[in-house]
Amino acid sequence: MPTRTPAVQATALTKIYGTGDARVIALDGVTVDFHRGQFTAIMGPSGSGKSTLMHCVAGLDRPDLGAIRIGDAELGELSDDQLTALRRDRVGFIFQAFNLLPTLTALENITLPFDLAGRPPDQTAVDRVVDVVRLRDRLGHRPSQLSGGQQQRVAVARALVTNPEVVFADEPTGSLDSAASTELLGFLRRCVDEFEQTVVMVTHEPSAAAFADRVLFLTDGRLVDELTAPTADRVLDLMKSLEKVTS
Amino acid sequence: MLKAMIRDLVAHKSRVVMTLLAIAVGVAAMVAAWLISDSTATALSAQRSRTDVGIAVQRIDSDAALTVAQSKQLADLPGVRGVSVVAVGRAGLVGADGKLVPGETVPEYAGTNWSRTSRFELTEGRAPAKAGEVVLRDAEAAKGQLRVGTRVRILLADAKVDTPVVVGLFAYRSLGPRSDPQLGSDPVPAVAYDARTATKVLGDDVERIELTVVPGADSTALTAAADRITGPGFRASTGETLAAASAREAADGAKDLRLALLPAAAVALLVGMFVIANTFSILVTQRTRQFALLRAVGAYRRQIRFSTLVEALLLGSAGGAVGVACGIGLAALLLPLMNSDGRIPLAGVPVAVLLGLGIGLLVTVTAAWSAARRAAGISPMAALRLDHSTPRAQGRRQTIIGAVAVAVSVVVIGLTASPSAENAARIVSLLAALVGVVGVLLLAPVLAGFCLRPLLGLVARRSSPALRLAVRNAVRDPRRTAATGTAITIGLALICALGVLSATLLSLVGSTVRENVPAATTIVQPAAGGEAVLDASTLELVRRLPEVSTAAGSRDVVADISYRGGQTVRRVSAIEPHALGTVFTPDLVSGVADLRQGAVVSKNQADMLGLRLGDELTVTFDPAHQVVTKVAGIYDATELQAAIFVDVAAVPERTRSRLSLIYATGPDPVAAKAALDRTFAVRPDVEVIDRDALVTRLQDVQRVGFAVLYAMFAVAVIIAVFGVVNTLILSVTERTREIGIARAVGAGTDLIRRSIAWESLVISTFGAVLGVFVGLGVGAVLQHAMLGQHLADLTVPWLVIVLGLVGVIIAATAAAAWPAARAARTDPLRAIASG
Ligand SMILES: Nc1ncnc2c1ncn2[C@@H]1O[C@H](COP(=O)(O)OP(=O)(O)O)[C@@H](O)[C@H]1O
Ligand SMILES: [Mg+2]
Repeated sequence: MPTRTPAVQATALTKIYGTGDARVIALDGVTVDFHRGQFTAIMGPSGSGKSTLMHCVAGLDRPDLGAIRIGDAELGELSDDQLTALRRDRVGFIFQAFNLLPTLTALENITLPFDLAGRPPDQTAVDRVVDVVRLRDRLGHRPSQLSGGQQQRVAVARALVTNPEVVFADEPTGSLDSAASTELLGFLRRCVDEFEQTVVMVTHEPSAAAFADRVLFLTDGRLVDELTAPTADRVLDLMKSLEKVTS
Repeated sequence: MLKAMIRDLVAHKSRVVMTLLAIAVGVAAMVAAWLISDSTATALSAQRSRTDVGIAVQRIDSDAALTVAQSKQLADLPGVRGVSVVAVGRAGLVGADGKLVPGETVPEYAGTNWSRTSRFELTEGRAPAKAGEVVLRDAEAAKGQLRVGTRVRILLADAKVDTPVVVGLFAYRSLGPRSDPQLGSDPVPAVAYDARTATKVLGDDVERIELTVVPGADSTALTAAADRITGPGFRASTGETLAAASAREAADGAKDLRLALLPAAAVALLVGMFVIANTFSILVTQRTRQFALLRAVGAYRRQIRFSTLVEALLLGSAGGAVGVACGIGLAALLLPLMNSDGRIPLAGVPVAVLLGLGIGLLVTVTAAWSAARRAAGISPMAALRLDHSTPRAQGRRQTIIGAVAVAVSVVVIGLTASPSAENAARIVSLLAALVGVVGVLLLAPVLAGFCLRPLLGLVARRSSPALRLAVRNAVRDPRRTAATGTAITIGLALICALGVLSATLLSLVGSTVRENVPAATTIVQPAAGGEAVLDASTLELVRRLPEVSTAAGSRDVVADISYRGGQTVRRVSAIEPHALGTVFTPDLVSGVADLRQGAVVSKNQADMLGLRLGDELTVTFDPAHQVVTKVAGIYDATELQAAIFVDVAAVPERTRSRLSLIYATGPDPVAAKAALDRTFAVRPDVEVIDRDALVTRLQDVQRVGFAVLYAMFAVAVIIAVFGVVNTLILSVTERTREIGIARAVGAGTDLIRRSIAWESLVISTFGAVLGVFVGLGVGAVLQHAMLGQHLADLTVPWLVIVLGLVGVIIAATAAAAWPAARAARTDPLRAIASG
């Protein structure tokens, strides 16, 4: 696996919030590669900088120091419009909640990136993702008429529909019950296995991390450890040992 | 993405209804103002297209007369086919109720001779043929409820009365402008006798001679020839020249009307803009998360901005369309009310439609512009933050600019506060007041915080939970409270400023009259008002009464005045010297009140013209009558009253016998008044009043003008109240969750409803009180600039203030009903479930 070229490369990322007493170093020189066709999970205690890392590498926020490369694009060199187009066409994003526009139907939410680009939707891509997340019979519904799990599946479909170079997910199962979580993680896994999709996911549940190929551990804005081919037990063990180190 | 936005609009109709109304009312006011002025202009110019007159010889000097020989000479000019003489004379028409019928023309010129030209168009009955018969103009007949076949009383010159039978009604078509110093005028008569009777009853005062000419005649040569025959008192013009002048006059009239109506409509639009801007600002805040999500998923900034502007565009066109429809309806309703005679068809509708729609769009898009920019500036990260309070970076800058504006305004107004300031200084001080108002509006959020926070502490201890909740909500976002309240501030400030001006003016009129006219003086004046006059016989009648010892007439005329500093046109009053100090007692500041020694001038006129005691003054009544005099005395008076008095002996004969009013008194003033009352009881054209009634009359004239403006500004306040409703609805939506939780922990629907009503009241009262203060300030400057008073000499319009505040409070309470009901309906479960 290390032979594969990275889809996303982050080098020495530093992000600092606030000044003086309120100063927080959210990211402290993080250097990391996310490989093509690999499912990476990021774990760490609350406040360790997981979300900040996600937002920076996804082009939602800019780091104070360091560089990010997605494919051939150096994010620091892009204008706001170019960055926006990159998010639209080459990156997929799934938030913990509030992924959907309430006035659009499920299908319209899924095809939103095409709508924004002013292109007709790629019908085969739409059919494919709709089948993957099994939403065919819910396409005409508004978000308010869908369950939480269904809403997150719509979000997954939207993240995948442009066939992006990388999909970022920030605790996508955070507000789902275990059955819905397992189902959603299954979809992400299938995308990696069947379509060579690159997926990066933040989670704090070892069972979720077990779906990944590789798990990164973040503490106080620093990468502290890494696991490949994880199981829930191995993740839990590592988390415990890390806790001991920090305490 | 547009789809999402439009669905959002449709899904939340209540959010937009009030915005639509605000746009619609402003546009309706604009469209109605436009239509009324345009239709009036079209009707005026359409009325006046007589084509049967080749050349009109018009009297321009009221003293000039025409001999029989001269009119024969005119008839004999080569190319002249026919001559029609137009005579005028005094004819006061008495209505069925025994009162003088107010006519288009003052009684002095309201009678004329019937002719078979297109001047008259019989609308009922037949033409007058012999003595004892008369025809009336349809409009005046209707006003006086005089019908064909009945006998009518007509008040002639020298206190004579005629009682002919009405045999017909006519519509009048005038030739040329209604009043033009160069071309003369064609007064619209109310009464017409046959030619022979007219000479007997009205006299043979020739006003105009109309010549019909053979086709192809040289009208330039004819005009010159006619001028040679008649001399300088008359002026010959071709029919075309007169038609063109009358069209110009109509256009000027329409322009004046438009200039009077449109600014008021613009104020309504301005307030509407505040409402729209505020609505969009709240909408953007509420949709922060949606916009952020769109940005995260890949919407460009310009796409977000565009979607907000499209939303404004949709609202603007919808509101504009509703406004245009309402404006047309309003104009159709108001036109008949504004023009008592004749039906005026709506004109200029296509232009008004375009204007209304265009302005609706422009105003909405302009108002939404800054909200759209803010929406586009939302960072994609905002989707992830749970609390969507955006940092208010511009708040501090706004406060600083506001404070500087207020400071500059106060300093400049202070520097230009002298009552004897030049016009330029007065304009500067008005502009400074405007800057100050802008400053206060910018400071409004800070002021809202200042005023409401102490209130919060006050209600925290001992008051109903509903009030506590309401005040807390109003204080929570002082910027929103201020933005909502300031729409009301603008409306009420205008009303209050106007109130100050009118109250000051009225009290000024009252106090000057009381100061200059003794209580013992009785005033005899023409009942027709305006430019109407009494003749010398009336003054004789007054003087002959044994109870009257002193009587003097004031003849007010407009005359050219040249003085050391230049030349100007002023109203001059010619009066008997003995009147000063007896029936009229000017409050002298310097010099003597003796007209035999020179003119007596009011202080503000003297200040304005730079006149001092002893300065020479040349008064030109007409080219033949020039009086050189000097300033003998200066007295205290308002700017609006006759301000230059001269000796009646100096004025032309004709002017002397045209009395604007007569002052009279006797050893027993009460007996004198009673005698005058008795004498003129049979004269509906003469009014006998005491000093206080004179004050009331003068004040009423001013009040009418102000009433129209009040009505216009009230529209602005109504629009502002729509804004309050809108803000409340939006804030109820914003607080669905909070209200739901309150309901879940046991707040009754009644508590919720009352808290929303209180909030409306708090916001509106804040806006209204701020408006009263701003209005008083602006009013002080206004009365200084327009009436030449000290800033502190303003009269506070208590009634206006109380009515304004009470009106706003009632409106705000009523306005809260809908949002309050919505809030009370909030389902506790759904509110908590919804994100
Ligand atoms: N917008 C912000 N302003 C200030 N501090 C922030 C902001 N966002 C995150 N932080 C701080 O940065 C640190 C990392 O946050 P985050 O990346 O959200 O952590 P995680 O997702 O691992 O819980 C935390 O201490 C958090 O308080
Ligand atoms: Mg996080």
